[in-house]
Amino acid sequence: MLELDRLSRRYGDVVALDDLSFTVRPGQMYGFVGTNGAGKTTAMRIVLGVLEPDSGEVRWNGTPLDQDIRREFGYMPEERGLYPKMQVHEHLVYLARLHGVAGITAGKAASDLLEALALSERASDRIESLSLGNQQRVQLAAALVHDPTVMVLDEPFSGLDPMGVDSMAAVLRARVDAGAAVVFSSHQLELVERLCDAVGIIRAGHLVADGTVDELRGTAANRYRLEIGAPPGWTASLAAALPGLTVVENGQRSAVVELPPSTGDQTLLDAARALGPVHQFTPVRPTLADLFRSVVAEPAAAPAGPEKVEVA
Amino acid sequence: MSRPLSFREAATLVARREFGQRIRERSFFISLLITLGIIAVVVLLPRFTDFGTGSYDVALVGEPSGLQEAVSRQATVADVEVSFRPVSDADEAEQAVRDGDIDAYLDGDTVVVDQSLDSSLRAVLENAYSQVEGARALESAGIDPDEVSAALTSATLQTVTLDPDADERETRGGIAFFGTIVLFGQLITYSMWVAMGVVEEKSSRVVEVILATIPARALLAGKVVGIGLLGLVQLALIGGLGLVLASALGALELSGPMITPVLTALGWFVLGFAAYASLSAAAAARISRQEDLQNVTTPVNTLMMVSYFGAFYVFLNQDAAFAGVLSVVPPFSALIMPLRMASGDAAAWEVGLALALMVGLIAVLVVLAARIYEGAVLRMGAKVSLKDAWAARRRVSS
Repeated sequence: MLELDRLSRRYGDVVALDDLSFTVRPGQMYGFVGTNGAGKTTAMRIVLGVLEPDSGEVRWNGTPLDQDIRREFGYMPEERGLYPKMQVHEHLVYLARLHGVAGITAGKAASDLLEALALSERASDRIESLSLGNQQRVQLAAALVHDPTVMVLDEPFSGLDPMGVDSMAAVLRARVDAGAAVVFSSHQLELVERLCDAVGIIRAGHLVADGTVDELRGTAANRYRLEIGAPPGWTASLAAALPGLTVVENGQRSAVVELPPSTGDQTLLDAARALGPVHQFTPVRPTLADLFRSVVAEPAAAPAGPEKVEVA
Repeated sequence: MSRPLSFREAATLVARREFGQRIRERSFFISLLITLGIIAVVVLLPRFTDFGTGSYDVALVGEPSGLQEAVSRQATVADVEVSFRPVSDADEAEQAVRDGDIDAYLDGDTVVVDQSLDSSLRAVLENAYSQVEGARALESAGIDPDEVSAALTSATLQTVTLDPDADERETRGGIAFFGTIVLFGQLITYSMWVAMGVVEEKSSRVVEVILATIPARALLAGKVVGIGLLGLVQLALIGGLGLVLASALGALELSGPMITPVLTALGWFVLGFAAYASLSAAAAARISRQEDLQNVTTPVNTLMMVSYFGAFYVFLNQDAAFAGVLSVVPPFSALIMPLRMASGDAAAWEVGLALALMVGLIAVLVVLAARIYEGAVLRMGAKVSLKDAWAARRRVSS
């Protein structure tokens, strides 16, 4: 597994990374989210050896990374990096060969990837003649062409249309299912929520939340939206009936309530029925965006030391 | 599925890409065509301007006795070639002049030409005519024609050449000087290509993708070698075509002494390029945008310009002591030594010293340039100072 262990990096007086640690397992798609300037790109560049950390290290299966291990990594930088005048297929083969893949294998891998990304017809076009979306697909192909075991992708989905997102997500998912470890950064939180097995939220160079989306939700998951055919004030009656219940939101017709951990959802439903006909009964799950906002909005003076939830 | 690449394999892959991509670029062909065009003009121009020596076709109307022999004799003395064309009468001769088949014809005491009589041919014809007429006058005055003929023949000046190789040396010097211009053009163009290539990789961030796979030094080495090879191929094409063209037109004879300067120039291109390309790459690695390129490569280009003007100085003052010094001191020797070698001025020890110093300088420059390149190439944004680039932490992985 890929371990980032207490990475720190400063640019002059600016702290880009402050004791950043997280782990990505094989067969896991890890979403890396944070505000602009939170340190996502710095962390990824350190993983790829493009940047040195001031302290801390990155390990793969317990071994500190070196050029030989990184050969098995695929990297998609945020600012896309391809030779504009090279032909698409030729470029992919070149990158694969730099990773040490033999010529024929490289050619076939490049063709297969272009087909999976619906770019076969553009294989002999120059990169610069492609649309930005297609260039981005080629960039992903460039990160995958040597069949890496670890993929580090900086904002791979930004600027893609929904079809592009789907075809890229499918390609990535296939790699993850085959045992690769993928970590990607994104601002599209609903996409991260949909695709990722685990999520890390970074703020000011420090990881403030780490785990599956369900884990991150924690107790906040125990909320329900109710609509009951009863006169106004039914929420008070409900709260009286169920000790520990809090009313989170009280609307005109419906309300959101949060249950204490000891109370089950059927108990709530029974209590609601006792008040009148139940028209709506929906578990309310906070989205990743909700979680992100609440986590990132916390005061910057975060407690020191590792506070992350380890994904075992 | 994959295995680690050795430094050499990585550099070879990079070099192949550089060579293969650039040779297909239109700009390469355009620059090649322009250079070849210049060569064609330089080689062809003397053919249209040089009337000093050459060969002439003349006709002698009425075949006056002795005139043909006299003309031949004078032609030999004047070192021009005169061939005779038989004509039946003056009309035919005139037509031949008009058509440009012959340069002139003699009819009695008149020379007829189309536009103007070339000075060499005039001298030959006038001397021959006055010789024949003088002999006839003396003969009619009762003097033995054989004695007259003997006296006149022995009255030509003999020329003794103290430096019989001068002509050849001059031709070789000319080739070398022209070669210096071409060499300078190649060095400055291809060093600039290296610099532009480095910045292109930085500005497009492709360098991050590449350096996640291979060491910075392999990328640098491959780039310099690939572009250098392309420059060498182009230079060989230029040199070869120049020689073939020149020999086909009779401007020079294709022989060992004429080919050597071209080979020398190729060798010195390799050395000069190694030095200047390393400097250019190191300079270019400090910046992230093509617009800043001029700014950082100016010192390197200035060095090349100084060499170039030095070559002019040496060409005009071949015997000056300073010329000898310039031709030995690197990196100036890269442009100046081939010039002196071709003219035959350089002693063997001078050539040896120049080579040793140049190779020594290259060894130092490559080490310095590689370190600066390595320290600067992954730093995006503002220009990286030389000090920072030098002090940059080395990559643990390489």
